[in-house]
Amino acid sequence: MSKKHKPSTDFVEPDLPITPMLDMSFQLMAFFIFTFRPAPTEGQIAMSLPKQEGGESAIPSPTDEKPEVYVVRVEAASNGTISRIQLTKKDDIDTRPVELGADIAAYQKELQTRYAAIQGDKTKAKVTLEIQENLLQDYVVQLLDNGLRSGFTNIAPVPLDPKKR
Amino acid sequence: MSAPSGPDKCEPNLVPMLDMVLQLVMFFMVCANFVMEQVNETIQLPEAIAAKPLDPNATNIIFLNVNAAGEVLLSGLDVQGKGKDDNVLRNQVQVQQYMKRRFDEDVRRANGDKDKAKKSSLIIRADKTTPFEKVYAVMKGCQLAGYENCQLRAIRR
Repeated sequence: MSKKHKPSTDFVEPDLPITPMLDMSFQLMAFFIFTFRPAPTEGQIAMSLPKQEGGESAIPSPTDEKPEVYVVRVEAASNGTISRIQLTKKDDIDTRPVELGADIAAYQKELQTRYAAIQGDKTKAKVTLEIQENLLQDYVVQLLDNGLRSGFTNIAPVPLDPKKR
Repeated sequence: MSAPSGPDKCEPNLVPMLDMVLQLVMFFMVCANFVMEQVNETIQLPEAIAAKPLDPNATNIIFLNVNAAGEVLLSGLDVQGKGKDDNVLRNQVQVQQYMKRRFDEDVRRANGDKDKAKKSSLIIRADKTTPFEKVYAVMKGCQLAGYENCQLRAIRR
């Protein structure tokens, strides 16, 4: 048997056309650059829903510790902005409300003071925001935001008119 | 001095450039906004510092898009096989009826576990110019339908 030898071939360098591929890639990149729109980062603001009248949840448990409830009354101007903020402590002997004007910063400062007074016990504190119906959502979120930043976690927004709750 | 004999071919190396471009293409593809069926982009959200990102452990998340007029805009996912008029809930009664249907569906999916359905994360994406009474009507409708965990959506500052 004779040994077969492979026929010797000259080395051929493969020529891959890169340019059309690069053109295509540039077109793809241009498409993505023009359609690129970074979405703003969204987040959630926690809040409490108002208690339903009657039913199981409305029956107070004898072991329940009564939380300190701060009622913030927010009145709105005709254009939907804040016109007046008042803060009262529920079941307090001194029923005179604290006038905070239309200043959200003053509202936050007052809440911070109240929160410090209860020594930061979240379970003891609750804020009820009584909001006039025409107040814009932007301000409602600002009130909730400032309340949360003051330390309170249980904040419930309700309409100013008790019949609409 | 004599000129070099024969034409010399000058070829730039395009391979690293191609690599770079493909990497850029990959970046833009990954960052591209995928269509989020439940989120309506026409709604201008308010801003908040205390807004927290979505809980990764939340299982059932329901988005409700509320426009400036206080109407709840339902996405294509929510109203499959229905007409265009079914895309909008105009008042509290309509919201309550719709959410009640969803709540019953959630209870059925949770094998009758009502508590699990109650704990679904309800996220209200209300426009910053919506009056509070309209947003409250949506919240109340959801509460009367059976949901307990309600949150407001805002842009994180």
